[in-house]
Parts: sequence; structure tokens; C-alpha cells
Amino acid sequence: MNAYTWLTPFPPRLPIGDAFEAFNRWLKSNFAPVFDVIGDTISWLVNLLSSFLTEPQAAQLTFIAAGIIAAALVRPHRLPTLITTGVVLALYIGQWLFGLGNLIVNQLPAPLFLWAMGLFGQDYVDANLVIALGFLIALVVIAAVKQTALRRAAVVGGGWLAVILLGWLAFPAVPDLIADSTAMLMVLLLSALALVVAGWKLSLFSVIALTVIVGIGQWENAMSTLSLVLVASLIAVVIAIPIGILAAYNAVVSRIVKPVLDLMQTMPAFVYLIPAIFFFSLGAVPGVVATVIFAMPPGVRLTELGIRQIDKELVEAGEAFGAPTGKILTGIQLPLALSTIMAGVNQVIMLGLSMVVIAGMVGAGGLGSQVYQGISRNDGALGFEGGIAVVILAVFLDRLTAAITSNSPQARAERSAAS
Amino acid sequence: MPAVRATNLYKVFGRRAPKAVELLSDGRHRDQIKELDVTAAVIDVSFEVEPGEIFVVMGLSGSGKSTLIRMLNGLLPPTSGSVEIDGSDITKLSSRNLRAVRSEKISMVFQHFALFPHRTVLENAAYGLEVRGIAREERHQKAMHALSLVGLGGWENHVPQQLSGGMQQRVGLARALTADTDIILMDEAFSALDPLIRRDMQAQLLELQATLGKTIVFITHDLNEAMRLGDRICVLRDGRVAQIGTAEEILNDPANDYVAQFVEDVDRTRVLTASSVMEPPIPVINPGHGPRAALRTIRENQTTVAFVVQRDRRLVGLVSENAIGEAVRTGAADLNGTVETTIERVHPDTPIAELFQQAATSPYPLAVVDDEGRLVGVIPRITLLAALAPPENGEGEAAQGEQEADPPSEEPPPADEPRTDEQNEEETR
Ligand SMILES: Nc1ncnc2c1ncn2[C@@H]1O[C@H](COP(=O)(O)OP(=O)(O)O)[C@@H](O)[C@H]1O
Ligand SMILES: [Mg+2]
Repeated sequence: MNAYTWLTPFPPRLPIGDAFEAFNRWLKSNFAPVFDVIGDTISWLVNLLSSFLTEPQAAQLTFIAAGIIAAALVRPHRLPTLITTGVVLALYIGQWLFGLGNLIVNQLPAPLFLWAMGLFGQDYVDANLVIALGFLIALVVIAAVKQTALRRAAVVGGGWLAVILLGWLAFPAVPDLIADSTAMLMVLLLSALALVVAGWKLSLFSVIALTVIVGIGQWENAMSTLSLVLVASLIAVVIAIPIGILAAYNAVVSRIVKPVLDLMQTMPAFVYLIPAIFFFSLGAVPGVVATVIFAMPPGVRLTELGIRQIDKELVEAGEAFGAPTGKILTGIQLPLALSTIMAGVNQVIMLGLSMVVIAGMVGAGGLGSQVYQGISRNDGALGFEGGIAVVILAVFLDRLTAAITSNSPQARAERSAAS
Repeated sequence: MPAVRATNLYKVFGRRAPKAVELLSDGRHRDQIKELDVTAAVIDVSFEVEPGEIFVVMGLSGSGKSTLIRMLNGLLPPTSGSVEIDGSDITKLSSRNLRAVRSEKISMVFQHFALFPHRTVLENAAYGLEVRGIAREERHQKAMHALSLVGLGGWENHVPQQLSGGMQQRVGLARALTADTDIILMDEAFSALDPLIRRDMQAQLLELQATLGKTIVFITHDLNEAMRLGDRICVLRDGRVAQIGTAEEILNDPANDYVAQFVEDVDRTRVLTASSVMEPPIPVINPGHGPRAALRTIRENQTTVAFVVQRDRRLVGLVSENAIGEAVRTGAADLNGTVETTIERVHPDTPIAELFQQAATSPYPLAVVDDEGRLVGVIPRITLLAALAPPENGEGEAAQGEQEADPPSEEPPPADEPRTDEQNEEETR
């Protein structure tokens, strides 16, 4: 017998993987309710968004239109706008909890609604739509009375009217010509968004490219992927920006965060799926969670960079005039870092898109599962069509966020300086 | 009570700062404590700034000026020593109270302007009041006033990048003025500007200072600027005070070789004023004297001219030996007709650069006359030339005349650099 048997050969087998598993199991058994809440919230958000993108409801469109006008009015007329918004939100909560809206609608005289019901061929009154309509009308009235943001209110209100008429009157009237009228309506809405944010070139691209997606029969999958990406990116950004701010303020945090981000970014994307499934089982939620982790690092990095690269004298100027840290952050650092932060957001969305496709493998649905099906069934056509739709979405999202970046206060100032 | 008082201020960067302060306070040079691996930026600096004074801190790059000025408003906490603003020690304040002091008592103008690029000129100027929570209307109104004071009326809705450097720094100045603090710190505020615009800004600052009476601590590495602006100047060398004094004291009586070398090639003619080179007015005679008495006085003093002053020392004119000799010969009873009353008179604050022309055209010494018309001194041509030579190791003109501590700060902008609207227009390009 060898005298050294009590020695294990170097290096010993390290149980890192097992430890990770054990840790996950411990987490799940001790914090199960937390994961349930997270999972429910994510899946609620994804469903809400994808149902809006595939089957937009009149109430939702009306609410969005009202929201845009409210955003324009809130600065010049804080009080009336906030009161209106508050009342509307209270009504919604009441409707959601005990059908308050329905109650009110039932109290109102019926002839008020009969005409509209006949026009749109509806056999019931949607209380949500009524509340949203009231909201929209109230805001348009405020804008008209106060003579501010009139143009915006007129454009949004007119656009809303056009959409409703198109969606519920014109498209159904020509069913032979337009096969998927809701999809085409959404194509027009997204193109309008592109027009407002990025100008006519992207808008034209959107009309054509998104119609192509409809044409290859991938519209629903594309919208499902889009909602996964948007929800994942939103969560990633909401987590990333505060961490980035902390890292910019504190050298210790920065030194800890950096290697963690490196790890998150270089770990093969598939690896995230395994624990994600473990915590959230199959479906959209683990896909979103894995996407959040994979896509978050550039958001943190560029937030930190954006804040750190601001001229030190500017921050000193804030301090020298007695501004507290919070005001320096919101009034100087964030606005000036915004274009860099938005570049980070852009990257988050792009990474998110690439990850969401991978997430199709765990049943997240959308274009990812199309591509995955293409691979597993050796169906090149299907895979290619899924791929094309991903590319179109990527270009659309990239140009849109890039345009938002160039609308930052800093960029606007530089542009007006050049003119 | 001084507006600002710094007492034995030290700022040492590095982990072993307290030890370094101990060694430095024993008089060691900062190069002698290299082994501590610290940077001693400010070493044992003490001074007082009186209300309404322009106090200039001057030194080469790296001498600790920026560090020093940042301790005055607490942007940097001193390693040791105290800073008193209006009598209260700000190094002991909580951060909230310190912020209150900054927004109410001290504002600052920065070397590279530090304007917020995402705000308009007006919003930049109003920043101090915004921080203080003043209502929008009021702060914009005050900011507009400050902008018009610095000559930027009409530019309020532009963004800083649309403005030239000189105009941007005026916005910086307006931002400090709008904050309406008694004390303004200016860290190399004009150093980033072209020389012509810089002179322009200096003149404007002096003008504003004359009407607003702020207490200004002004940092510069440019001796000429220091001399032009400073009521008193503090020369920093390697973090320590080399000398504190008026421009004339530093020029004529440098405390050590370092300062002497420093001031060697300053344009003395722009810094020294008539009062610092003039000589006592000897001899003077009374207009009531007769010609004989006058002639005797001139001969006794071995000169060729005498100034005629009234009892209250108001200057009447000058008589020359030749003219009096003539009067004595013709038996005139008094000096009437002999006195030349159209002689050159100069103010004590006139820089000597502006005296040469007058000295060249006048055959007699220049008469230095104060605001009340009283004769306070004379400047013979030879004295004017002697003033151009730097003093030899701390002596020299210091001995001549009484050293009036009149700063050059009230000098009007020299004629060769008029501020015209045309020039302002050009700055915007
Ligand atoms: N935050 C800091 N950390 C370490 N050293 C510093 C720091 N700030 C300034 N210094 C050093 O202090 C010295 C004085 O700097 P500064 O006050 O900026 O000089 P000046 O403004 O006169 O050019 C320099 O040697 C500089 O490198
Ligand atoms: Mg400096």
C-alpha cells in the first residue's frame, strides 16, 4: 500500500456544478412565493402586450391616445391633467375590482350608446372603452380651453379617430382586399410610431417590412417575440440603470459589478435556460428571465460609463451652487448621460432579441419556436421565414431606439449648436 | 469681520496625510516627504479676504490653486486647518448646512465654464436660484437681469454651445451673479479665453465689481492678470504662500527670489501707477509769494521749476527759473503772469504706461493731482524711466515716495482695446 493514499490527486474534483444546483434548490424551496409573484407578473405583462399587439382593443388604443395627450399637458397644466388622470385610474381600479364602470354605464340612458353599438355592430357596451373615451375627451377639452398642446391633441385625436374608423369600418368593409385587417392596422400603427420617432424613412421601411412579415404568415409569432423582447428589455433596463448609477458613484460597487457582468455576458446563453426552467417551468417566463440576465450587462456598463464620462466640472458646478446629490443626478448626470444610456438600452434590446430566439427552445413561443421547429423538422423554408422576421424586427427596433438616442437633450443641444 | 478667512489650511492627498501634515508643519518642502507617497497640494495657507475685495491667488500650474479655492466652498474638505465664511467655520458644517452656505453665500465661476449643455442660457443663469427653490418667474427675471449686466441680453434662449468662449464665460459669470451671493470664487475663469477677449472680460469684471461690490477670490496663473485685477495678491509656490500683498508691494518689494523672478518680466508699466513712482513735490511755493522769494526757493532746492500750490495744496500751476528771473528783472510785484497753469496733470491711479506720451510732450515734470485737485507728487522724466527697470533684490523704487497702496483696479480699460459691439458680434462666430 502506498503511504500517500490519504492524499487526493491534484486538482481534486470540485463540486461547483452540484453546489450551484443545491443553491438553486435551496432558493426555490425557501423563496417559492417570490418566484411565483415574479413569474405571474412577467407572464401577465407578456400576455397583455402580445394580446395588444395581435388584437388591439379599442379601449387600449383610446387609452394610449389619451396618455399621449396627457403627457403633453402635464407640464403646462399639472393640476387639471393630474386630477383627470387620477379620476380615470380610480374608475379603472373600480371597474377591475367590482365592475364600477358597468354599474355607471347601466345608470346612463340607453340611447346614448345604442347608436354607437349599431354603428360598430356590437351587442354590449365595453365599460373600459367608455372610461377611456371619457379620458380622451376630457383631455382634448383641457387642451382646447387652455390653448396649449392643441396641435398635438388634434393630431393624436385625429389619428385615433382614423384608426378606429379604419379598424372597425373600412377594413371589414373590404374583406376580400385585406386579409388580416388587425395585423395591417398594427403595421400602420407601428409605422406611425416610426414616423414620429425616427422620420419617414424608417416609417416607409416599417410599412413594407412589417407587411412582409404579415405576408409570410409570421405576424402573430413576430408580435409574440416582440412582446417578449420588450418585457425582458424593460425589466433588464429597470434593473440595470440603478446598478449602473451605483457603480458610477461608488468605486467598490463598480469593482464588484464588472466581473459579474463579464461572467453574465460570456456565459453561453443556453446555460441560463436550465435554472430558468427550474424556477419557472416551461413557457414564456423562463425565456424572459434568461433574456433579462443575458441582455442586462450593456445596460449597466453604459449607464456607468455615461455618468462617469460627464465633465467633472459640470458636477462640481452643481455642487458649488448647493445642489443635493439627487438633483445633480436627475438634473445633470442623467440628462447628459442619456444618449449613452440609450445606446445601452439599444444593445439590451438587440441582445434580448437574439436571446428570445434561443428561448423559443423552452417553449417561449414566437419566432424562436418557428426557427427551432425549422431545425428539428429539417424545414428550411420555415426556419428561413422565421429568421427573416427576426431580422426585420431587429432592424426596426434598432433604428427606433437609435432615433430616441438622437433625441436626447444633449444631442438636441448639439444639433441646435451646429445649425 | 473678513468675508473669507483661511487659517493654516492644508490639503494632502494620500493615505498618510496626517503624518504628512505633521512633517510639513515643521517647515519641510513637499519634495522632502516623497517617501510618504502623498501629494501635498496646499500647505499651511492663511489669509483673510475683506468684504468687497478682489483677492487674487496666483501661482504656476500645480501650485495648489484649484485645490485651495475648492476648500473655500467645501468642495474639498481640508486635511487640516479651517475656513471661515462670514465668521462661521464651514469645515465643521453638516453636508446639508454646507449646501446652504454654497447656495446662499458663495458661488463659483469655472475655468472651462461648466455650463450645462442641455439647458438654455437663461436656465443656466437661473440654476443657483432653481436649486434654492425660487419660483420660476422670479428666478428667470433675476437671471435676465444678470444676463443683461454681463451684456448677454437677447441670448437667453440659445444653448451654450451656440456661444463663443467669451460669451459662455459671461453666462458663467451671470450664473454666479444670479445666485446673488456676496462671495464669488473664480478658478482661472479667464484662462481659457483668447487674450483680447480676456482683457475685455477683466475690464468687465472690474466694472461690475465697482457697482456690485462683491467679494471675489480670483485664481490665475497669469501675473499680469493678477496685477490688473487684484486688490491684493497671494503668490503660491508649491502649495505654500510665497507672499501676500498689493500689486505694487509684490512688484517693488518681493518677499524672496522666487517672487522676484516671477515678477521680472511682468509688464510693469501697466501695473505700476503714477502714485507708486511719483516723488515728493519739492519745492512748492505759495501764490502769494513774490518773485524774489520764489527764485530763492528754486535756487535753494537746486532745481529749475517750482509748483505753485494754494494753502490747501490745490495745484495752481508751475513757475520756471527763467520766467521768474525775467519777473525779478522787470520788478513785478507778484507771480501773476509768470505761472503756467496749463501744465500736464495726471491722476495717481494712472498706469505709467499712459504717462509716457505726456512726459514726452511736456518740458516739465508731470504733476500728480488727486480727485480734489491737490498736488500729491511729481514725476520727472528720469523717474519714469527708472521705474521700468526691475528692482534689484527687493530694493529700488520701494524707497521712493510714499507707497500708496492704491491698486490698479480702478484703471479704465486701456484705449487700445475698446469694447465694441462689433467685437462682440465677432465672438459669436
Ligand atoms: N484629487 C486629487 N488627488 C490627488 N492629487 C491631486 C488631486 N487634485 C489635485 N492633486 C494634485 O495637487 C496638486 C495641486 O493641484 P491643483 O490644485 O489642481 O493645482 P493648480 O490649480 O494650481 O494647477 C497637483 O500636483 C495635483 O496633481
Ligand atoms: Mg487649476
